Amino acid sequence: MSVIGTSTVRTDGSSKVRGDAVYTVDIGLPGMLHASLLRSPVAAGQITRLDPSKALESPEVWSVITAADAPSHRHGLIIGDQRILASRRVAFEGEPIAAIAAETPRAARAAAATIELAIDEEDPIVDLDLAVAEGARLVHPDWATFRPVGDDFPRQGNVAGELLSDPPGVDDAFARAPLVVEDEYRAGRQYQAYLEPKAVVAEYESGRYTIHVSHQFPFNVRDRLAAALAVRPSAIRVVGHHIGGGFGAKLDLGIEPHAALLARATGRSVKLVQDRTEDLITCPSRENGVVRIRSAVGADGTILAREIDVLMDAGAAAGDTPILCSLPLLLAGGAYKVGPTRVRARAVYTNTAPTGAFRGVSGTYLVFAVESHMDHIAAELGIDRRELRLRNLMEDGDRLRNGQELPDASILREAFTRVEEMTPWANTGLGTYRGVGISATVWLTNPMPGSAVLKLHEDGTLGVVTAATDNGSGAVTMGVIQIAAEQLGLHPDDVVVTMPDTDTAAYDAGSQGSRTTHIVGRAVEAAGAELRTKVLRTAGEMLEAAPEDLELVAGSVGVRGVPDSRIPLADVAKEATFSVGPLSGSGSYATILPGYDPSCASGMLFPAFPTPTYHVHLAEVEVDPVTGNVTILRYIVAQEVGRAINPDGVWGQIQGGVAQGLGYALYEGLQIGADGRYQQRTLESYRLPIAPDIPRVEVIILEHPDPAGPFGAKGVAEPPVVPVAAAVANAVADAVGAPITSIPITPNDVLDALERAAR
Amino acid sequence: MPWISVDAGRWVADVELSLSVNGRSHPIDAEPGETLLHVLRERLGLTGAKEGCSEGECGACTVLVGGRPMDSCLLAVHSVAGSEITTIEGVGEPGGALSPLQEAMVRAGGVQCGFCTPGFVMTLTALLADQPNPAEDDIRRALAGNICRCTGYAQIVDAVLTIAGGGR
Repeated sequence: MSVIGTSTVRTDGSSKVRGDAVYTVDIGLPGMLHASLLRSPVAAGQITRLDPSKALESPEVWSVITAADAPSHRHGLIIGDQRILASRRVAFEGEPIAAIAAETPRAARAAAATIELAIDEEDPIVDLDLAVAEGARLVHPDWATFRPVGDDFPRQGNVAGELLSDPPGVDDAFARAPLVVEDEYRAGRQYQAYLEPKAVVAEYESGRYTIHVSHQFPFNVRDRLAAALAVRPSAIRVVGHHIGGGFGAKLDLGIEPHAALLARATGRSVKLVQDRTEDLITCPSRENGVVRIRSAVGADGTILAREIDVLMDAGAAAGDTPILCSLPLLLAGGAYKVGPTRVRARAVYTNTAPTGAFRGVSGTYLVFAVESHMDHIAAELGIDRRELRLRNLMEDGDRLRNGQELPDASILREAFTRVEEMTPWANTGLGTYRGVGISATVWLTNPMPGSAVLKLHEDGTLGVVTAATDNGSGAVTMGVIQIAAEQLGLHPDDVVVTMPDTDTAAYDAGSQGSRTTHIVGRAVEAAGAELRTKVLRTAGEMLEAAPEDLELVAGSVGVRGVPDSRIPLADVAKEATFSVGPLSGSGSYATILPGYDPSCASGMLFPAFPTPTYHVHLAEVEVDPVTGNVTILRYIVAQEVGRAINPDGVWGQIQGGVAQGLGYALYEGLQIGADGRYQQRTLESYRLPIAPDIPRVEVIILEHPDPAGPFGAKGVAEPPVVPVAAAVANAVADAVGAPITSIPITPNDVLDALERAAR
Repeated sequence: MPWISVDAGRWVADVELSLSVNGRSHPIDAEPGETLLHVLRERLGLTGAKEGCSEGECGACTVLVGGRPMDSCLLAVHSVAGSEITTIEGVGEPGGALSPLQEAMVRAGGVQCGFCTPGFVMTLTALLADQPNPAEDDIRRALAGNICRCTGYAQIVDAVLTIAGGGR
């Protein structure tokens, strides 16, 4: 019986529910020291005094490291603009200045407090428009000296990266259009708020570092740490452990360099765990942004042309934000045909914590802007909002603004239809203070490479060696395991996957962009095919049958259709091991990027949407006119997944992704004060969704198997967060009778909108 | 016997006490103000309770004190010396069968990254002891002190509903 398409339970469920799964925060090594960081208390300024001598007086303190003891060059994901420890200037609150190793965490923290630090404060750059204005103070006066990791890209002053696309026909269309609709939207920062704070344990032995970390992308830790420490990557071994949530925040280098330097300085293993406030204020949160959008519209609702200008707050280091500048191009039309579109997107340096990847990168607010703008256009024309969308919906063969063809975009129409079947649009959002919103998008599956080695053990079970990580999604503990089991006719319980270890497994690009089931699944499929061939060859000799006449069923091999002939897989494994040697197979995979027009834009670092998937969301809400609170009455998702390897797993990713989207839309916002510091600093003031807030999401899974995917699977886990703020904002706007132009939509925003509507 | 140690330059007295955890009694020399969570994780090696926020917001450190779910990060260990404490390690059979709730959590998909899971199991174990047949609203209300960032909660609610009333 096939295990593909069945809801097997995750293989780490039992240890997690018992509490014996080991996360990095749980690790203790013999002789281990504990570290603490002294971080900048201010957002911008010059360090005028830094004296750690008092800290070293404590007998419990083993080492204090400042910039003088750390590599002085700058490092970064795509451009070197960060230092391990600040030397003369600080550029954001929380920037590390010194690292301390001591016998206990408490001693390390106490020692950090005795370091003498004086900073000559400067007015921080916080506002995005002011940051890019002529003559603005530069967050990094020496930006021109920063070295890119690969090819350089457009950047200038406080603009850390810029995408420009200016196709012909835009101005013409605007000049001729009967209607021009213009809007501005703003979105706040969102903290990933994984429950396990960032933590690392570092060891240094014989010239090599071993880094224990709960990380989504161990090979990136290896490569980034190597560059930061100026050693070769093979001098670093990264060992992955269970990940207490990441959602994108555990993809780049974090506090690993500090622990590594302390381990080297002390010759002891060193553990560094962030407390919650430290974690929150320094996390690479989802960037805040400003979207200015303008459309030329025909009387029938046809969108003739568009202009979109986006400012994205990179914080004090570029991180991946210049890469994300491509998203406004790819999502300029959302799920709709919009004609020629002029796009400018800028990643902007500010004196705030560097922002970074969060599930649904930038898409959350871009789709919010595009879909709210659609509602505005519909209102101007007096066309039903859903009808306007159906008129402009992309069809098979339509193209994104990068020129990429979407051969199967009509799945969008199928998704709209399926949602309509579940709840007719005409019957939704009825009643006072109630409203409905609908949103749609295209999303991608991350194309980056992965690999797997499958080995048949002598007891007939299967080992999978891969550096793929399970960040909680089940992509490894359900998807990869099911695909491996299927290839050898085994039960998922008879498949064991290694934890990631960069010494053991080949390169893997980590849990990002829903890639693991699709990419690593394909690698496992290939490895399984190779192993299967070898198994059948040995079994054929044992059974005196041709390999092509054999089948693998329930842990045994036999002649097809002759159950009596079956011998246990364990017997085949033993026979092979002690004659020709142990049996294994290997596989690798990466997605070839789809065709696109490289001349369509400058600064395009993320040029296409490989393995696209299609999504329609509908939200029905009720607002309380007295408190301004929003209640989600109903939430529906129609999501195309290629093939659902594990339907319960898909369902679970959609529930969780929507919950994060609802938090983003309604509750979560990191507000930045004029002093450049976050105003929310704990989980008490940063409001996360709790069980009474979140409805049971109604899920429609659409399957259009992808020939390139393992058993047809595409990426699943990232996109459910993307269209949520859009659907909710449009529902709230419908309920209150006035547009919603910023997220999160706080109770005050709702009350203000009600007031505006009453005027 | 109490003894004296140096703590960040101050003289403080440790206090000897006996702590009952999962039916076993542990003699502890606790520091003044030391939390129950710290004692469990650092002295007793019971790392199932997690430190997610240290301020009683996330619920990842939830344990039962006299059968009631409490945030162990907020409790001074001295204040619970006389109470029976149950941690996640005391639920189900060690190395053996899961409790019906644990089993249901796994089957219903209530576990993703798993970091919050021990806290949820403790809160729900107490709920089911109190109220064997809770309705969905009761479950969601009981969970208001536990944050899960992965699941969206529906699967956790479903796990309880499948075993509510003692049946399946």
